[in-house]
Amino acid sequence: MSELLERKVGIVSCSGEELAEGTVARLAALKVLNELRPRDTVTICLPLFLAGGAGDRAFAKLHPTITVDGCDLRCAAHGTEKYSSKPAASLVVNELVAECGLERPEGRRRLNAAGQKAVEVTAERLATLVDQALGKEAGTAPSSEAAAHELAGEGREATCSCGSGVPVTKVTIDGRAVELVALPLIFRQFREKGSGQDGDAERDMFETVKIYNAVPSEAEGSYREAVRREYGAFCEKEKQP
Amino acid sequence: MKSSKDFVVVVPCSGIGKPFGTVSREAAYDLCEELRPESTRLVALAKLVLGQPDARDLVAKHPAVTIDGCKQMCAAKMVKQSGGTVTREVAVLDVFRRHKDLKPEGIAELNEAGRRLARVLAEEVAESLDGTGQSVKGASHV
Repeated sequence: MSELLERKVGIVSCSGEELAEGTVARLAALKVLNELRPRDTVTICLPLFLAGGAGDRAFAKLHPTITVDGCDLRCAAHGTEKYSSKPAASLVVNELVAECGLERPEGRRRLNAAGQKAVEVTAERLATLVDQALGKEAGTAPSSEAAAHELAGEGREATCSCGSGVPVTKVTIDGRAVELVALPLIFRQFREKGSGQDGDAERDMFETVKIYNAVPSEAEGSYREAVRREYGAFCEKEKQP
Repeated sequence: MKSSKDFVVVVPCSGIGKPFGTVSREAAYDLCEELRPESTRLVALAKLVLGQPDARDLVAKHPAVTIDGCKQMCAAKMVKQSGGTVTREVAVLDVFRRHKDLKPEGIAELNEAGRRLARVLAEEVAESLDGTGQSVKGASHV
């Protein structure tokens, strides 16, 4: 994966309002985002893959993603794969509860003690998966207490990526308005390397654009020309004081 | 006794990153568990994202109330994309604008003001469902 943004793991939770396990999934995700791995994680609401824009749908292409679901429907895992990109790892609360021999959580609105325990276990497992996704060895990530202490006083809340901050550029290609995501990020990366306008670099840049955008094979030439044009305009703009 | 045709489905947003999303969920629970348990049914938005047949069938056959926590209006959009009819489209932010003393804080656990905002919203929707109250302002919010 091209490193266009600070490398963080995207956590996508099922909304699971109907089941206590859904509440466990959501609270465990929040615990990782807020307390266990706040520096390493970011989240997005699952429905934004459909209701949001191209930038939202690119979320899982820009972040290695871990999904956490409450039940076997696996809405978060299937939805993320279907509309964004295949998750790096997936977790299902009711499977984890069975695996760990925990009591079944109850109380979708206010979890019982078994539900609270399930949140702890699920969050710890999620944090381990985050470390693995980032290639961190066990024990190198800050402890829960250290992370909480580090963030004390910051009034931190989960890093929410709705309208995810991934820039979307409208480009005219073959007379049609097309949305391309992440162009400025890609352009900046190539410009900082001092490349982009010779043949090899131009090809590399276009391959990077294709990672984050669906390019119809029959229109590759037109897309390539549009990217070249946009990159030229980007470089001109960067030259201006 | 009411037939199953009489209930409305309630779809809150799944908001995980902002207190307003939590308010939408709390309001849905208030409405479906306490205020109008006989005439409402909660549907998880994630099921509509996945296109789960039972959930799609419910929203296709019954009027829907959507409660959204941000301007993206995911719940309203998903119900419409699933072939449903949104009869009350509520934006938490619009209700908050009328009750600025009830500023919600906290995501995993709402503060007292947030819980009260959720209750106010739920009561307004309940009354509008009965036809005894005014439509919830913000119902036409897009």
